[in-house]
Amino acid sequence: MSFHIEAITVLLNGLQQGAIYILLAVGLSIILGTLKFVNFAHGALYLVGTYAGLLLALEINLTSGQLQEWGFSTLGLDLGYIPALIVVPFIVFVVGLAMERFVVEPFKNRPDTDQILVTFGLAIILQELFRAFFGSSSLPFSQPAWAQGPPQVPFLAAIPISSWRYYVIGITAVLVLIVYLLVEFTDFGLIVRAGTRDPEMVELLGVRLSRPYIVVFGIGAALAGVAGVVGGPLNPVNPTIGNEILVPAFLTVVIGGVGSIAGAVLGGILFGLTQAILVATYSAWAQVGLYAIAAVVLLVRPQGLLGEAEVAP
Amino acid sequence: MSDEPAPASESEAEAGAIADTIGIWAPRGNELRIVVGTAMILALFPFVFARMPVVSDLLQGYQSLATLILIWGIFALGFDLLLGYTGLLSFGHAAFWGGAAYAAGVFSQHVSGSPILMVAAGTAFAVLLAWVLGFLSLRRGGIYFAILTLAFAQMMFYMSSSPLAFITGGENGFTGVETAELLGMFALEAELPSAAGLLLGTWLYLFVGVITLICVTLAYRILNSPYGMVFRAIRENEQRAEFVGLNVWRYRLMSFILSGLFAGIAGSLFTIHGTYVPLSSLYWTESGEVVIMTVLGGAGSLFGPMIGAGVYLYVENIVSGGHPFEFIAPFWHLILGLVFVVVIWTFPRGIWGFVRDVRDFVTGGED
Amino acid sequence: MPLLETEDLVKEFGGLVATDDVNLDVEEDERVSIIGPNGAGKSTLINLITRRLDPTSGDIRFKGESIVNRDPHEVVQMGVSKSFQTASIFSELTVRENAEIAALAAEHGSFGFKFLEHRDSLTGVHEVARDTLDAVGLLDQADRTAAELPYGDKRRLEIGIALAAEPDLLLMDEPTAGMSPEETEATVDLVEEVKRDMGLTFVLIEHDMEIVFSVSDRIVVLNRGRIIAEGTPDEIRGDPEVQEAYLGGVDL
Repeated sequence: MSFHIEAITVLLNGLQQGAIYILLAVGLSIILGTLKFVNFAHGALYLVGTYAGLLLALEINLTSGQLQEWGFSTLGLDLGYIPALIVVPFIVFVVGLAMERFVVEPFKNRPDTDQILVTFGLAIILQELFRAFFGSSSLPFSQPAWAQGPPQVPFLAAIPISSWRYYVIGITAVLVLIVYLLVEFTDFGLIVRAGTRDPEMVELLGVRLSRPYIVVFGIGAALAGVAGVVGGPLNPVNPTIGNEILVPAFLTVVIGGVGSIAGAVLGGILFGLTQAILVATYSAWAQVGLYAIAAVVLLVRPQGLLGEAEVAP
Repeated sequence: MSDEPAPASESEAEAGAIADTIGIWAPRGNELRIVVGTAMILALFPFVFARMPVVSDLLQGYQSLATLILIWGIFALGFDLLLGYTGLLSFGHAAFWGGAAYAAGVFSQHVSGSPILMVAAGTAFAVLLAWVLGFLSLRRGGIYFAILTLAFAQMMFYMSSSPLAFITGGENGFTGVETAELLGMFALEAELPSAAGLLLGTWLYLFVGVITLICVTLAYRILNSPYGMVFRAIRENEQRAEFVGLNVWRYRLMSFILSGLFAGIAGSLFTIHGTYVPLSSLYWTESGEVVIMTVLGGAGSLFGPMIGAGVYLYVENIVSGGHPFEFIAPFWHLILGLVFVVVIWTFPRGIWGFVRDVRDFVTGGED
Repeated sequence: MPLLETEDLVKEFGGLVATDDVNLDVEEDERVSIIGPNGAGKSTLINLITRRLDPTSGDIRFKGESIVNRDPHEVVQMGVSKSFQTASIFSELTVRENAEIAALAAEHGSFGFKFLEHRDSLTGVHEVARDTLDAVGLLDQADRTAAELPYGDKRRLEIGIALAAEPDLLLMDEPTAGMSPEETEATVDLVEEVKRDMGLTFVLIEHDMEIVFSVSDRIVVLNRGRIIAEGTPDEIRGDPEVQEAYLGGVDL
């Protein structure tokens, strides 16, 4: 394979991986920036999305876990990927609403450490629930037949990347754009932005922030759910994937700058590209290099590349 | 040179100075009671847990688990200095636990298998690492601190996984542990002679038990020293602490290093106990386990975290095994997670806090 | 040499000039009050002196030494202590421990390695703490948890903490805010007593004009970040610019 093709392959892989981080980071970032809430359960929302996506899109065989023991060894609605892509965000949106109402609200005024601890606990609970019912082993979630193999388009056809990855990039771009437009150009977005700056003032003006806030959380959760569906065919589907993907998600947020959508995008792209390039070149050092770069950015510019004010004291 | 009045006053001054020095070190207040009480509990624990007729069958305990509980107990004890008393939540302590474990293991392979030296080597590694990582991570507080410690610990995990695999054994873990006899004479797996053997079990337990006692004493002393008050002041009102003239940053760093010290001791003992270092000992979920143990047992208390370690390990190893817990056995981790969340939510003082409340209620009085 | 002096001190927050070319001198043993309408920049000035904020330009000197590059805890160790506007105490510690923390910092410096010494052996610290609690009238409550105190007592504890740090210069940010008349009187008496016994230099931010005029040797008036008047209570009372700033020119 020529160097050009290899390089482009690496870059596109990086962009696609970055896209998944972006989906997670945008949600996490606006939750942290707006609600000032540290959500260590964000990876668990990805987890819900990935399992839900799998069960909606395909039919699978279970080999372990309680469901299998209770006789449900084949499970799944086999509806196809498109329905899954449409329905899952709504499911996870609702899960997000529930989380906001029952976990975030009561903990809003408690110290940061308590927020981290309770969401960490929640993440473990969700992880273990999935493990208990579906078993510990990874479930097969293959890319859809219509998205396998490179797109039959000149130039792209020569690059060994399946169309599914292009779809991931495309879906991410569209969704991020929608969220951005929502935040910048709607009344809802205005309230959210004002509430981030000065929640007291907004409330004094007679605007109840609790409703927009719950929606913000829901949106963040829905994005994580989408990440779970599009990432399902690309990453393992097992109970621990939530916690595994949490760390890169947080690093992306913090590197890009808390509360900044553009920052989350930038952070995700950087993270994804760096990871892809390192894996292709010094693969043994790939992860180490990634975390080292993240640490350096955090130390040199704690507010992130595009962040403004500090969030934490 | 002359022998008369000078030596009299000199020796008096000396005696005074010695008394002062001892005075600094002399046990005060409850210290003696705590130390003796802990020693007694440590002495009885393995017997009650593993060998006592009726009780042990009920508990299904075993010697090796008793030792492991003490080891994690030390880890949690030190972690609580940072979390419960200074108010800092680190998700990266696996770096010190696993790092010390590897250091002790590698030390035993290449330098000396003496258990005492292994602990010294592992602890020294952990302390130095804590100094560096603390220096870097403490520049920011709150969530940034948690994320930074997490990032650094993950970095170490991945370093051990591939680039340094030639030292650490990579994904297979470190299998070259060569522990020698304690003080050159006593094989750790051997049973202690006569009654001590029945009570305590192995030389290994004695070794770990003595170190545990030292650690508890050390922690108690630290908490009753000026440091204890400063840590709590920092947790209560960091700004005010700075504005009464305390160098908050340095005290936080010391708290971090001290917690790393305990983690290092525990990690080294872990290697000696298991004669193997798994790669997972560096993964951030291991940090998560000590967080759960500490909070569950009761952050901000001396014995809470150790009890938390005991409960966690009991559930992980015995409840998960089946009889008579068959119904809940596959859900052991889920249950721990649920109890953890409940504790944070409504009962932040954990199991120890609950026990104290019951005791106060029963005795009908104040502390 | 003045105990505290600021030279051309400026603090800007983006477009807002909170402190505008302030030159302030405080001599030893003086009792200086800083007054001014809301938003005049009084708290900003105090925060600059205690190093909670960095100046945009200008210098601050304490005992002749420039302190603009020092950390807050260093400035406290040099002898500048501040009592906060709100009762910024250590809620979960006992009253005694609150005082002991400050005394510890004063006696043993900003940092030490004494983690193996039992705190019962620190007799100096205990003495200072006891004397301070006695001075603010809280000795009988020494073993209560600070959070349990009524608000007025919390304010007194706040002042006590500032005193236990054994300062040469005490900055007090609205010490009587939110206090009843009896509490206010008690606080003023306390300030007088402490000044007598400990020879402190005071800088007071206050809104209660009765206190200001009765307690101060000198009054400094701020408006919009600048000093618009300075002088004895009598001089300030009759100053037309001061009246303008506060009352918009209405005749008193």
